[in-house]
Amino acid sequence: MRALHTAATGMMAQELNVQVISNNIANMRTTGYKRQRAEFQDLLYEYVSRVGTQTSAQGNILPAGIELGSGVKTVGTPRLMSQGELTQTGKDFDVAIRGEGFFKILLPDGRTAYTRDGSFELDAQGRLVTAQGNLVQPSITIPQNAMSVSVNTQGQIFVTIPGSNTPSQVGQLELSIFVNKAGLQSIGDNLYLETPASGAPQNGNPATDGFGNLQQGFLEQANVEAVSEISDLIAAQRAYEMNAKVISAADQMLSATSNLMR
Amino acid sequence: MQNALLIGLSRQVALGRELDVIANNIANLNTSGFKSDGAVFEEFISPTARADNFLIPDRRVSFVQDRATWIDLSAGALERTNNPLDVAVDGRGFLVVQTPRGERYTRNGGLQINSNGELVTAEGYQVLGESGPITFQPKDQQITISSDGTISVREGENAATESQRGQLRLVSFDQPGMLQKDGTSLFSAPPNIVPQADKTSRVIQGTIEKSNVRGVVEMTRMIEVTRSYTQIATLLSQQADLQRSAIEKLAEVPN
Repeated sequence: MRALHTAATGMMAQELNVQVISNNIANMRTTGYKRQRAEFQDLLYEYVSRVGTQTSAQGNILPAGIELGSGVKTVGTPRLMSQGELTQTGKDFDVAIRGEGFFKILLPDGRTAYTRDGSFELDAQGRLVTAQGNLVQPSITIPQNAMSVSVNTQGQIFVTIPGSNTPSQVGQLELSIFVNKAGLQSIGDNLYLETPASGAPQNGNPATDGFGNLQQGFLEQANVEAVSEISDLIAAQRAYEMNAKVISAADQMLSATSNLMR
Repeated sequence: MQNALLIGLSRQVALGRELDVIANNIANLNTSGFKSDGAVFEEFISPTARADNFLIPDRRVSFVQDRATWIDLSAGALERTNNPLDVAVDGRGFLVVQTPRGERYTRNGGLQINSNGELVTAEGYQVLGESGPITFQPKDQQITISSDGTISVREGENAATESQRGQLRLVSFDQPGMLQKDGTSLFSAPPNIVPQADKTSRVIQGTIEKSNVRGVVEMTRMIEVTRSYTQIATLLSQQADLQRSAIEKLAEVPN
């Protein structure tokens, strides 16, 4: 009975849906996290009798055919790259992006990764690194004796050195934008990699044409909305249960048939 | 007496098909833009033997035949997602999608942008505008889609200039019942059904049309199907009992 397999595809899809939702909820407080959504589509149809088939020599045609669907499939789990809320932390090296763009991060293996998580730190050499210790690109070194550090909305970093009244610029943060942000590949640690689907990055300074501006002392929260995740979770769970009921109904029908033989 | 078995069987085959339809609806309970299917049955009256062959006219026997499935094209619930690339169509209209097999139509408005900046479906097929595919520039910001499907973006320094990137093409059909499901949320139109430009439907940005499958209705239909199936199974076994006892009785050799 086809219904058994159809319902099984439905259960698998809802299981995946719950998995995606639970990951969103688990990352509700992850800086710069972008929520994912499972997208479903129906599977192929079997045309038992095709619509529009001629039923008589007089040219009568079937106004509706018999189409039997074979279930559902997951087509993708794209990320929704909308702006998350900014919360004030007051920390000098916390930088949030308001608008488009990603920070560039150098991975230990030489690849470049992209992130929205601007909770930076300094390493032993005074270089700006992520919480994981990966270098921010282009590399920025803060002098050991710097008294105060300020990052303006254009991404310029100024420090005040003892004995000098005027702050001096020590670097410039750059941002990268992509045509298709949702096409980036997530590799964990709040990092994304460029893919053929995302297109090549375009680099530029913050607060210029098309690039977002920076906000020092703020962090971008996850764009997960608890209420909508929970309601999606309820819908997914109920859909799972209904698919399970279809399986037991098909089972009941099969057993009714097999009980005919005595 | 054989007829009862065959009629029962025809009903069971039809019910099996109906359960397949219900299973597909329930599997797609969470598929955006999915339209549920219904099954239609008809009576199939077997041809009678020629009247002049018999003194008493032969009784006509009617079977069940599944004649068609129909697509329920009513609108699904709209869910607010606030994603600028989610569009729902309010009205009878469909979005037009360019696939390798030709133009297809969809109500699933979960759209994406591909690496060429083109507006595509989740499968990667181009969504067509009034003048071909819709292409965005890498630096476009604040995509807005108005209710008539016009797509505009802000670009330039401080996002000062507004430019248009095209208008979504919406079509509707005089006989939407003739549409065929093509899988992957798409509908195809038979060659004799011509899509017509739809000026009455509205596009709602930031919302997505959920599946129009109603779980309660499908569950009720499913219970109905299983119950009738079991009833017929009982009927069939009673018929078989009847036949067996008839054979036993008739074959009894009187002492």
